Amino acid sequence: MEPQVKRLKGSLYDSDSWTALPVLSDDQSQDIQLVQAYAAPIVNKRETSRLVRELNLRYPLAGLQHIKRVRACKEKGSPHPLEVLVCLVSQVPDSKDATTDSLFSSEGVRPDGLGELFVVQVPSRPPLTRPQFELASKHWPTSFHEDKQVTVALKGELFSSAQKANMHGHMMSAVAAARAAQELGMEAVGAVVVDSATQRVVAVGHDCRRDHPLHHAVMVCIDLVARSQGGGCYSFDKYPECRFTAPESSHDDRVCDSNTGSQPYICTGYDLYVTREPCIMCAMALVHSRIGCLFYGTSSADGALGTKFKIHSLKDLNHRFEVYRGVLRSQCEDLNRNRKDLEN
Amino acid sequence: METKTESGSTFTAQNHYPSEPEIDKWMNEAFNMAKEALEKGEVPVGCLMVYNSEVVGKGRNEVNESKNATRHAEMVSVDQLLDWCGHRDLDVKSVCERTVLYVTVEPCVMCAAALRLLQVSSVVFGCRNDRFGGCGSVLDVSSADLPQTGTKFQCVSGHRAEEAVEMLKTFYKQENPNAPKPKTRKT
Repeated sequence: MEPQVKRLKGSLYDSDSWTALPVLSDDQSQDIQLVQAYAAPIVNKRETSRLVRELNLRYPLAGLQHIKRVRACKEKGSPHPLEVLVCLVSQVPDSKDATTDSLFSSEGVRPDGLGELFVVQVPSRPPLTRPQFELASKHWPTSFHEDKQVTVALKGELFSSAQKANMHGHMMSAVAAARAAQELGMEAVGAVVVDSATQRVVAVGHDCRRDHPLHHAVMVCIDLVARSQGGGCYSFDKYPECRFTAPESSHDDRVCDSNTGSQPYICTGYDLYVTREPCIMCAMALVHSRIGCLFYGTSSADGALGTKFKIHSLKDLNHRFEVYRGVLRSQCEDLNRNRKDLEN
Repeated sequence: METKTESGSTFTAQNHYPSEPEIDKWMNEAFNMAKEALEKGEVPVGCLMVYNSEVVGKGRNEVNESKNATRHAEMVSVDQLLDWCGHRDLDVKSVCERTVLYVTVEPCVMCAAALRLLQVSSVVFGCRNDRFGGCGSVLDVSSADLPQTGTKFQCVSGHRAEEAVEMLKTFYKQENPNAPKPKTRKT
């Protein structure tokens, strides 16, 4: 069962021409944060387990459970093979003249087997992605609970070529809708809603701002989905490129849209393809609509799914979703370029 | 005449800043809309848009009946305002610049962005919206630096806040019959 991809040829279906990259949360994508700590060489290796035990009691590393207490010495041929993290600089009241002896003068830890203190930078938060882990490890070893899907996604290798061919086709429809809007003198933005389980196209829409200042392509699609479910508030019938298909006949349970066997509920289980990054109104509309996954072509200046905000990853909100950018990037960039040409 | 030298938004905001009696009067109508929503099984939020002492838009949440999760009270009111402008051949932007929106609950992130895009000058709201609020609770869209997303607007909050919260609590105590059944975890 070789997928149909091979037969779809030419640049139109050249899904090797782009890479879909995940738009991760701030926590996952920001640079690692560092905090200053004291470390010391372990001169007598046999004291190691006692030192670690006593240090854990005397100077517990609260909130730094990801930090490994002991590391192998970086330099090969060093007289001492191990180094131990003693405590954070902030844990010492008078840190100016801290020495091995002064840190252990109180009770609890015998400094036997420890060399002279030195200051190191250690990562203050557990690494969430492989790039963060690799950066963190340059400073001090940490544990890392790898999310394999994120690692693969960051390499741009999450989607199979069959999946990419599907994505390519859906974004091509969005680009076609965008062009139709442009020809009508509206913003060149198009969007497509797809049932993620069956890949059935539920709705196609484009910018309709000439009729209504808030009818961005995403808002149009959300209402078209509502219409496919017997609701909706607007008619886009005069625009042939704005369309929806009702769920297939409900007498056949096998084609019911959602896994639960119930009727489709707003955008649950649906993915959205949109030629450019949604604005904050549209991004939040997708949260309210409980969209499954979102794919966009290019970023936009006030974009709310990566550029100015990451609405899809806000912990305060009751629905979060995955976002990938870069699908059919150059075709989507061309849409914006055309618009600028018209303006100039 | 001196005030004209100030920036446009400040000028209109000062000119159209509602007085206490105005707030009482219009918020009372917004609360009536919210009650209607509650009776219809919708999230109890009511909204009014007032331009030159005239109601040009009026709405309540109608998400369930439209099966469109963006049909918040503000969005419904905006549609009425657009129709009102259309019938009178008035410029939407210049009407919105002199319009005050009254709503029983803080506008959500989406609605706050929509009001920016329309360049509505002022918003008066009742209680905060910890779940979705776009005027400071979850995000502050009303004053964020978003040059491509309309203009900032000013907010007046706290009018009959407790009453607005009570209505929301009444609603959320009921079950949402339209929500998908939560998936039970296999243990």
